[in-house]
Amino acid sequence: MGGDSRYEIAQDAYVKLILHALKHKASAVNGLLLGRVFPQNDVVEITDSVPLFHSHIGLLPQLEISLLLIEEHYAAKGINIVGYFHANERYDDYELGGAAKNIGDHIYRYFPQAAVLLLDNKKLEALPKSRDWSPVMQLYTRDASKNWKPAGSDGSSQLNIREPSANVVLLDYISTEKWKDVVDFDDHLDDISKDWLNPQLFK
Amino acid sequence: MVSKTEETQLSNLENQVDNGGGGAWEFLCLVRKLKVRRSEMVLKHGLSILRDPKKRSSLGPEEWTLYEQVAIAAMDCQCLNVAKDCIKVLHKKFPESKRVGRLEALLLEANGSWEEAEKAYSSLLEDNPLDQAIHKRRVAMAKAQGNMSGAIEFLNKYLEIFMADHDAWRELAEIYVSLQMYKQAAFCYEELILSQPMVPQYHLAYADVLYTLGGLENLQTAKKYYASTIDLTGGKNTRALFGICLCSSAIGQLSKGRNKDDKESPELQSLAATALEREYKQIAPDKLSLLTTALKSLKVSA
Repeated sequence: MGGDSRYEIAQDAYVKLILHALKHKASAVNGLLLGRVFPQNDVVEITDSVPLFHSHIGLLPQLEISLLLIEEHYAAKGINIVGYFHANERYDDYELGGAAKNIGDHIYRYFPQAAVLLLDNKKLEALPKSRDWSPVMQLYTRDASKNWKPAGSDGSSQLNIREPSANVVLLDYISTEKWKDVVDFDDHLDDISKDWLNPQLFK
Repeated sequence: MVSKTEETQLSNLENQVDNGGGGAWEFLCLVRKLKVRRSEMVLKHGLSILRDPKKRSSLGPEEWTLYEQVAIAAMDCQCLNVAKDCIKVLHKKFPESKRVGRLEALLLEANGSWEEAEKAYSSLLEDNPLDQAIHKRRVAMAKAQGNMSGAIEFLNKYLEIFMADHDAWRELAEIYVSLQMYKQAAFCYEELILSQPMVPQYHLAYADVLYTLGGLENLQTAKKYYASTIDLTGGKNTRALFGICLCSSAIGQLSKGRNKDDKESPELQSLAATALEREYKQIAPDKLSLLTTALKSLKVSA
């Protein structure tokens, strides 16, 4: 059960997902969370992320191929798929949609502490003024009745960013239009020379 | 559709303009001609022309076209005051114009004044019931409010009148996919393939939807449409090549233990796998071993 786990996301993984969403402002986007679990203190470490798609998010073939290749790549490093990131098409849509839940369910089957993160546009937009250090994403975990529930409504924060300055870095990247350089799996399928690992992004 | 040469031309011009090399007006004209969305650039450089009386008047009657273009770009960038000013100028010049009326309604929409915008569009439609752009705005408005069933209803009504509008069919298909209404999406792609049988994207999307629906029959049909996609693209479609491998694997699993007639010949899958490996070896060699392992796992499960 993912209900009581805590999640810690690395800055690069976090920033990459948000830049991906900003690159495709007019469409829904998604991505995968990769990392490992530390059972002794029930912490899931999200060490990396892969931007997946910006079109046809509800279709299976592209998703299955991406999962196959991404899983294979990270398994060699002892890292697994630990969750899913989603950004809705509409700015003021705060619902976790059917497709996002289904993908979350799929990941849950292999990783019971799976996290689903939904981009919080309002929090993202307010960042330059709010100077908030907390992630601009809403964490969802699956409860005993198999529903995805927003976590932290009681004020506790189950999701933290490893580097406290991540939002400052993010704002800096936004102002320099770094999002233009993000490559996702969609781009890769259109032109396989484009690398979904984004090796040059934070160089 | 924007061709490769047009795209290069556009991005060259875009770089030139952005680095102060001039050519802003040529850039704005090209954006209009190709109907591409470059709102931030259009706003920035269009506005600088409009704010310079000398440059502005040198455009002659094209000045008004630019006001319209900048107004729309400004609304896209949420710079509603700029849009308002542009539309005011246009309204003064063309007080009776329906085209300006459309912009005014668009501004209401951008402000989130849905009811007033709806009223404005309705009255414009009364004057011209066949105004496609306005019908489309109503679909977009429903979508913007999260009213997907409304958007579907408007689109279906629109398609009853304008059956040949491919973009509208595609939009409807994409809405259905986003709502996971795959059967309805498949119907839209069937329409598109019937009216434009040579467009590989429709074959591919149809196959993707059928694969998502699942079941032996759908998978077999999906495989055929992946094959026709490969045919139509001269073997150059990575998604379709992967699609063949996925279908073969899924069909293999479903028809285990069935009689021989349902079994697939393994040839197509091997061909697709070989083509993929060749492509990766040439273009993305660092991902080749990953691909080979993935393809193997698909073959084993078949």
